[in-house]
Amino acid sequence: MVYKNVKGRIFDIQGYAVHDGPGIRTTVFTKGCPLRCLWCHSPESQHREFELGYLPVKCIGADVCQNACLDACPEGAVARDEPVEALDKSGLIQKAKIDREKCTNCLQCTEVCITKALYASGWDTTVDEVYERLLKDRGFFKDGGGVTISGGEPMAQFDFTCNLAKRLKDSGIHICLDTTGFAATELFAKILPYIDLFLYDIKHMDTKMHKKITGVGNEQILKNARFLAEHGAALQIRVPVIPKLTDKRANLRQTAEFCASLGDAVKLVQLLPYHKTGRMKYERLGWRYKLTNVEPPADEFMNNILAMFQSFGLNCQLH
Amino acid sequence: MFTEFDIPISERIQKLKAKRERINKDMRLNFERNRIITDYYRNHENEYPVLKRAGFLYEWCATRKINIDDDDIFLGDGGPQCRTVHFDIEQTSQSWIRGCFGDTDERFRAAWQVPGSVWVDDEDREWILEAADYWKDKDIAATARGLFPPEFFENAGPFLEHLAGSYPGHFNPNYERAGTVGFGAVRRTAMEKLEEIRKHTTADNVRSELFYRAIIKVCDGMILMSKRYAEACRKKAETAPTPERRAELLKMADSCDWIIENPARNLWEGLQTILFYQYLLIADGTHWADSPGLIDSFLGPLLEKDLETGVLSHEQAQELFDAFLLQIGNQIIMFPKPTNDQLIEAHQNGKTFFDLQGGAQNIAAGSLITIGGLKEDGTGDYNLATEMILLSYYRLRVAEPSLALRINKHTPDRIWDLGIACSIRSGGMPQFNNDDVIIQTMLDKGVPLEDARRYAIFGCVEPAISGKEWSMAANCGGFGGGASLIDILQYVIYGNVNPMTGAEGMLPCKKLYEYESFEELQAEFERQIKHYIDYQARLYHFAALVFNHEWPCLSASVMTEGCLESGKDVTWGGAKYNGMGSMFSAVGTVADSLMTIKKLCFDDKTVSTKELYDALRANWEGYEMLRQRILNEVPFYGNDHEEPDSLMQWFTNFYADHYNSRPGVNNGTNNCGALDLYWVAAGKRTWATPDGRKAGDPLSHSSDPRQDAVKNGPLAYVKSVAKLPWDKMRCGGAINLRLDANSVRSEDARSKIRKLIKSYFEMGGIQFHFTVADTEVLRAAQKNPQDYQDLIVRIAGFSAYFTHLPFDVQENYITRYEIGL
Ligand code: SF4
Ligand code: SF4
Repeated sequence: MVYKNVKGRIFDIQGYAVHDGPGIRTTVFTKGCPLRCLWCHSPESQHREFELGYLPVKCIGADVCQNACLDACPEGAVARDEPVEALDKSGLIQKAKIDREKCTNCLQCTEVCITKALYASGWDTTVDEVYERLLKDRGFFKDGGGVTISGGEPMAQFDFTCNLAKRLKDSGIHICLDTTGFAATELFAKILPYIDLFLYDIKHMDTKMHKKITGVGNEQILKNARFLAEHGAALQIRVPVIPKLTDKRANLRQTAEFCASLGDAVKLVQLLPYHKTGRMKYERLGWRYKLTNVEPPADEFMNNILAMFQSFGLNCQLH
Repeated sequence: MFTEFDIPISERIQKLKAKRERINKDMRLNFERNRIITDYYRNHENEYPVLKRAGFLYEWCATRKINIDDDDIFLGDGGPQCRTVHFDIEQTSQSWIRGCFGDTDERFRAAWQVPGSVWVDDEDREWILEAADYWKDKDIAATARGLFPPEFFENAGPFLEHLAGSYPGHFNPNYERAGTVGFGAVRRTAMEKLEEIRKHTTADNVRSELFYRAIIKVCDGMILMSKRYAEACRKKAETAPTPERRAELLKMADSCDWIIENPARNLWEGLQTILFYQYLLIADGTHWADSPGLIDSFLGPLLEKDLETGVLSHEQAQELFDAFLLQIGNQIIMFPKPTNDQLIEAHQNGKTFFDLQGGAQNIAAGSLITIGGLKEDGTGDYNLATEMILLSYYRLRVAEPSLALRINKHTPDRIWDLGIACSIRSGGMPQFNNDDVIIQTMLDKGVPLEDARRYAIFGCVEPAISGKEWSMAANCGGFGGGASLIDILQYVIYGNVNPMTGAEGMLPCKKLYEYESFEELQAEFERQIKHYIDYQARLYHFAALVFNHEWPCLSASVMTEGCLESGKDVTWGGAKYNGMGSMFSAVGTVADSLMTIKKLCFDDKTVSTKELYDALRANWEGYEMLRQRILNEVPFYGNDHEEPDSLMQWFTNFYADHYNSRPGVNNGTNNCGALDLYWVAAGKRTWATPDGRKAGDPLSHSSDPRQDAVKNGPLAYVKSVAKLPWDKMRCGGAINLRLDANSVRSEDARSKIRKLIKSYFEMGGIQFHFTVADTEVLRAAQKNPQDYQDLIVRIAGFSAYFTHLPFDVQENYITRYEIGL
């Protein structure tokens, strides 16, 4: 079978991914996404291209490394930072400092950085390689667990995602696909037989608003949701509740109506209140975090929304 | 979250809890027990050891002070301080006593009479010094000196100290027999046995005659003590503030007249019997880890009867469990370790006795309650008492005693749910135990199935047959002259010397750069393990002889199955089963070090053994790049990598096989396990190791991977640890997992944790501990300890209040692997 060697680009594989579907799951995160949600909590997932990631806490200082990263950079984008106390309190060290204006993401510095303080935000792999890695966790997948393919947008690397799903399905492993729904309908038709549960985001019911906060309109997404529902898919709908962006009652009510209209296909609706944990990741990539003055919604508000969704007869929970 | 279990505790329990917290801050050394034993032994020097012990125990029962406070639900606290802190003088290093109390007045006061200290009065100080003089050539260490072969004196310094500081009371006493048979019936049996053997005295049974006389004396003492409490309750009733309290006290009096002599008739009596028996065990000096095993099993029927007949309401029953838990945790001892220098320094820095190295290990009961499991016939043993005990832990958030829950296919969903919710809330209690594998390890020891099904845990993680097995204290991580993997690793690298301390080992060997191949180094490692295990096993036989010769343990023998039947004290081999544990530790540091040597020096040959040796000798100074390469490029244990994990399997199997096959003390079995209470302290006396660790840094903990070596997430971590030969770990060993608070926030977090535990068990793991803690919360607790008094974390085989831990242990805990998302 040739599909084993299909290439893919991923940025992480995580075990015990408790928020990505039922049971104990290992999640594969593919790299690249057509959407640009303002609150995105994995910015490293957005671009198909690799970026330079930098974790200063791991850097042991240019003295020890004898300027390895400085010398490796063809653009002169790495310099010595102001001296700071070393983690083990052994004295002052000068860590690397990246000038993001100059950096072209060529990644040459990551190859010489021994501590992996400088790292590439992802790697290229094959279906086979990922499959072998996932199989190691198989002992945990009983009782409803399995693999989740997430992203970025996994449908954006359709060959890889579909072949991986097939391969896992053949081995009897339960598969979730975590998707924005933004892909051609015929691709969903093709992958449908291999997916046990779709984790499907509905971000906003108004297409203009949708475009404003994610960069794309919602027509394709709603259409695909309906298509999947009508063709026997199981859906777990995820609704992000982001203050000021998606939390208008009218919008949430329409979302609930839409979910209800999909009928039995919807097994569960999860309300995802905004949280700030992704913020650090922006720093690592040297990006600006856009939602600086948004606070997580109040519990009371979330409970009200929950009750509203339930009033439509939906199986709904806070996440 | 988890609100369904949040039923508020009663006002009375709140008062009892507050009292305990208050007295926690104001502990005093209580010398009552030490005065009684010293007086008795002084006046009866020629009495045979078993009779002397019985005489002392009787005297203790007959004369100990009785204290009943207004809100007390149960009886027996050592009062006036409800937390009875003491050390056992005949087991304590007399040089420690002289060092602390024979110091100058000024230094004595600075160590023992300031806030944060364990208070010692001037008068007590004088007495203890004088008593220490009496004991110096009569204590347990003196007996050991009188019979140990000479080679032990050269090498067994730490072991003698250890022996002098802890009696072998690491076991599951037979509380069930105390509660369902009673001391009266035991006394009658002993009388009958005595009559019988008197008729045919032989060389074999002549000592048994003395034993039975001793048992009768102990029973008499216990029955007397209970009746003294009955009397005190009646007296107290006369001045009771309310008619209700008066009635309650009179009822307690009636019960005390009945129990101990006779089987308990209701829940209160069952719980009170456990407590009275516990006090006897502690007075006898078996304090370290008297662990109530399977008590829910016999309390359940009493509870259900009370509920049926309306003697108790559901709330009242829960209140009894709450009160019991608060009270049993009061029974603590002081581990005689800290010196005046350490104490003074600590106090000067605004710290308490608790904050010293060892933290929770300085004052503890080491006790552990086991609940759930299987009945003898193989059916599930869970009842309402199981649930209520869990609920009390959930509500009260106490760090002691520890709690173990047995898991098998009969475990009800509600118990699973409650167990996990409780563990999330109360910092790792209960620990979860895998019946399938543990029962198999008991069978492998030669225990028949019906008994194997009735195992319980004692101490931290050690399984034994509840009420039927006598198990001498296990050595932890080589502490106490045993086989320590980390010491052996150092010998093999540095040529039979520990560079940190300069101490030499017993077997001369090569240095790292002199080995021709990795196989040669492995062979040397095996040779050393074997040597130290043989040495240790031999040492244990002599240690057992110390007790057999002069230090019987009648409080255990009076109830432990086999003793009454055979006419032998537990220290003479009277128990039905006998075990002796040995724990290895620092598994991660050792596995990663071996992996580094193998990969860099022998497989890839990118670093010579000489260069690595020099780097180690220099404590990595000038070799930081090499160290970083090791830290970042060598595959380490804990990531589900084939190679380091199989190295780990090689030496742990070797250790377990060899130790388990040595003949055990009292003709029992040797039981290997994995546990370490001293990984931070042991790290301080360990030089640099090849895994990139610097001299003095903490070792990896027990059988867990090194904290910063875990890179592939929790599932890989769990899988790696599951590869230990758990089926040979008859003395237990747990995986310690710290979950990020975020991961328990999801709606079905409990079911996911349950699946994680089940997966680990199916892979062969035997014990699962987890704690949920936020790094942010822990950091805040370090800054403002007063606001986090009840924050409990699981740090080794036990749970402890985080703010009571020494700073370096706190740091180590925080940096230990954390599952983030
Ligand atoms: S990624 Fe390339 S351009 Fe950017 S800092 Fe590294 S070496 Fe320089
Ligand atoms: S970024 Fe890497 S290579 Fe550069 S100084 Fe820090 S640790 Fe060394």
